[in-house]
Amino acid sequence: MTARPDPFIHPITRLSICGLLAAGADWVEFAALRDAAGISDSVLSKQSVVLEDAGYVEVRKGAVGRRPRTWFRLTAKGRQALEDHLAWLAQLEETVSASTQDVRQAGPLPGDHDQPRRVLPPLLGSS
Amino acid sequence: MREVARNPVALELLRVQRNRLADRLRPPWWYLTGSAIAWAVGFTGQFSLRYLPRVDYWATAVATTAVWLLLQWGLTRATGIKVGPRPLRVLRDGLFYYRPGRPALIAMLVVSLAVGEAQFLLIRHGLVAAAIAVAALGVAVEVALQQAWLREVRQALRDGEGAA
Repeated sequence: MTARPDPFIHPITRLSICGLLAAGADWVEFAALRDAAGISDSVLSKQSVVLEDAGYVEVRKGAVGRRPRTWFRLTAKGRQALEDHLAWLAQLEETVSASTQDVRQAGPLPGDHDQPRRVLPPLLGSS
Repeated sequence: MREVARNPVALELLRVQRNRLADRLRPPWWYLTGSAIAWAVGFTGQFSLRYLPRVDYWATAVATTAVWLLLQWGLTRATGIKVGPRPLRVLRDGLFYYRPGRPALIAMLVVSLAVGEAQFLLIRHGLVAAAIAVAALGVAVEVALQQAWLREVRQALRDGEGAA
């Protein structure tokens, strides 16, 4: 079976949100998710709307006194999409590590030693 | 979640973020204090049964449960993480395992029943001081088990296995 990337989860911020929601808690509050993911309020708001529209995340809004509270939960669809996306990442990693091994085993080409090394000039004003 | 372990970048990022999330689930001072008081009230049930016949035994049990639920609600609000009820066991690799934290919850139930029974027998034989000592020991054990339960849930959040 060939795993495919999920366009909704592929951006690293959304991957973080889904990964955190899948960690084991039923519901995670806005501030807790924002702090754990290390993102700003606006980024979390924006990305959570995308995930909610895709049906990956369920959002529950409430209030404690005057303070609004927003809670997030990963849906079954979102969990499945995350697992598929992680499987694709694993497949990708395997492919990359396999090709890196091939390059190492091949070694340098015979003509490589004779070629002069190109040294890039230092950037002006970088000192 | 096992697939994550095979991708170093995703693993590292999620590990750090899960650690941050799990660290939020540390009980505030009032949680453990409140738990100790709730268990202490619960363990006065046997004394009230014997010495305060007007106080219903079940009233203390209901009060303890109510305080415990209130403390859980407060913990959820304070930490921003809600861990809801889950099935008792989970099937993994063809074998059933208790969910993380569940053994501690079962132990809490067993200890509370054992303490109640021990108190009943001690009070019936007139050993009130011993019954009080058993109650105090029971409170300490229950609070320790509650901490163990939270520790297990935190570890489950770190591992991304799914909490109790």
